[in-house]
Amino acid sequence: MKKINLAVISALIFAFALIWFSPILWMVSTSLKPEKYTIEWPIHWIPRSVTLENYYSVIFESVINIFRPFFNSIFIALAVIVLTLLTSSLAAYAFAQLRFKGQNVLFFLVISTLMIPEEVLLVPRYLLLYKFQMINSYNALILPMVASPFGIFLLRQFFLGIPRDLQDAARIDGCSKFRIYYQIILPLSKPALAALAIFTFLANWNSFTWPLIAIDSIELMTVPIFLATFHAFGVIMWGRLMAAVACVTLPILIFFCIAQRGIIKGITLTGLKG
Amino acid sequence: MRGIFSSPPPSYLLKVRTLKAKPKTRIKTGLEKSIGENSVFYPYLYLLPYALFFLIFWVYPLFDGFYVSLCRYDFAETQRTFIAFKHYISLPFDPLFRASLINTLLFVLETTPLIIGVGLAFALLLNLPFLKGKIVLRVLLISPFMLSMAAVCMTWEWILGPQFGLLNYYFSQLRLPTQAWLLERGWSLFAVVLTTLWWTVGFNTILFLAGLQEIPDVLHEAAKIDGAGRWSNFWYITLPCLRPVLLFIIVMQIIASFKIFGQVFIMTGGGPAESSRVMVQHIYETGFQYYRMGEASAIAWVLFVIIMVFTLAQFKVLSKQTIEY
Repeated sequence: MKKINLAVISALIFAFALIWFSPILWMVSTSLKPEKYTIEWPIHWIPRSVTLENYYSVIFESVINIFRPFFNSIFIALAVIVLTLLTSSLAAYAFAQLRFKGQNVLFFLVISTLMIPEEVLLVPRYLLLYKFQMINSYNALILPMVASPFGIFLLRQFFLGIPRDLQDAARIDGCSKFRIYYQIILPLSKPALAALAIFTFLANWNSFTWPLIAIDSIELMTVPIFLATFHAFGVIMWGRLMAAVACVTLPILIFFCIAQRGIIKGITLTGLKG
Repeated sequence: MRGIFSSPPPSYLLKVRTLKAKPKTRIKTGLEKSIGENSVFYPYLYLLPYALFFLIFWVYPLFDGFYVSLCRYDFAETQRTFIAFKHYISLPFDPLFRASLINTLLFVLETTPLIIGVGLAFALLLNLPFLKGKIVLRVLLISPFMLSMAAVCMTWEWILGPQFGLLNYYFSQLRLPTQAWLLERGWSLFAVVLTTLWWTVGFNTILFLAGLQEIPDVLHEAAKIDGAGRWSNFWYITLPCLRPVLLFIIVMQIIASFKIFGQVFIMTGGGPAESSRVMVQHIYETGFQYYRMGEASAIAWVLFVIIMVFTLAQFKVLSKQTIEY
């Protein structure tokens, strides 16, 4: 009796999860319908006639190819990740393992900036970049994002956990402090570095406000901005729009399916240490 | 007799790679003295790259932004005229500002319990021992948070469409009254809340799941032996153990909710008759559509102060003693 109960409950949970996920299924379904069938009554989940014309239109006939914004977003995210990991790990190493005057004060300063919302920096950053004529460039999207107080915090927590003995042994063998950083601490910190990378990626992948402000030209648009422009043209062609959305969504979904464990572990690390 | 170690052992015997000791007996150059390894300045070198980006893009804009908020600075004229706190004083009299403030507060009040509650519920679901196929469940429930915000917004805009949207279709099938979700004053903000919930719940679910798995089974078993039902178990064991995770999530969630902009901008543009206009949107329009930079900066600082107040209040209220095992 109990087994049947559990089976029923499991089935219900799966059904619920499927319904929860259904917006994505509906999106794919819409993208495969010819435009005139997207608005129909009654609704068919499985298209009456499956067509790839929406995808063709979005990929080849757009004013700008869908892959350009996708490439932009990925490129910017990767650039920020590399720079952030570099700067944050160096600074975190100093805070964790080296001794210097003003250590605690400076660290507190860095941590306190965690509470500052970036919105309050929108206007002055724009004015600053305008002065240097860096508006509407990749620089504008990458550089402001590099300094990450969260990154320092996370990595320092992790570095503090690396046993002192290991480093002392290395010092005795004559290892320079930089080599300790490079050959001992970094390799041991892979989980924390991965977690920071995931976190930074998500933040940049979804950032909307700043790119909206800093970018004018179509070639530099990131994915959120690009999708938002579909709005501007009067009547929305839902089939095409859903195809564009699918092009951006499906790679990420597949990536999540594959890298699930790692991603979840990484986020867990950020949460539990934070 | 020649000693055994008169010559270095052949390389094929050197299986172990040792770090070569570097005897530091040579004279140090001036550069080495000032920033070499044992100098006072050495650690600061590590901080330099971060400091560069930090000073330029965080510290300077913070102070400059505050100064701009004390000026009238319409972008076209390249002059900043200092007007002290006039912007701040005039803000409460601006109906758009008041609307944006109220809507933002409403949004925070609506999303926070929802996203936290549903996140916890999902985590509890995913933690059930008898469920098979957890990987599939995880993808179904959690994955939306990795999707691009605009993709989610467009999809939901399509679903919430007044005439051909999925939601209204099923509502009419079930004889429920259909709403013009995004086009109606009362519903537009809630529609954004719903979309944001669907999108971001996965992140909280992951954190809650980790927190749940950290609770030692011993506690649950002891409670069961003492006769605790499922609800008592949850209320007296699970929740208290989750307190640190809960605190973290609540603080993060509230801060993030205050900063809402993208979803509103894409889906409702401020909603019919400013019913979903939020503060960051007001900052954006004032500063980058009307180019009143001084005023925009002032609004941003008001938002900043509000967030600070909320965050500090939460820390005071929510961080009592931690659980000792």
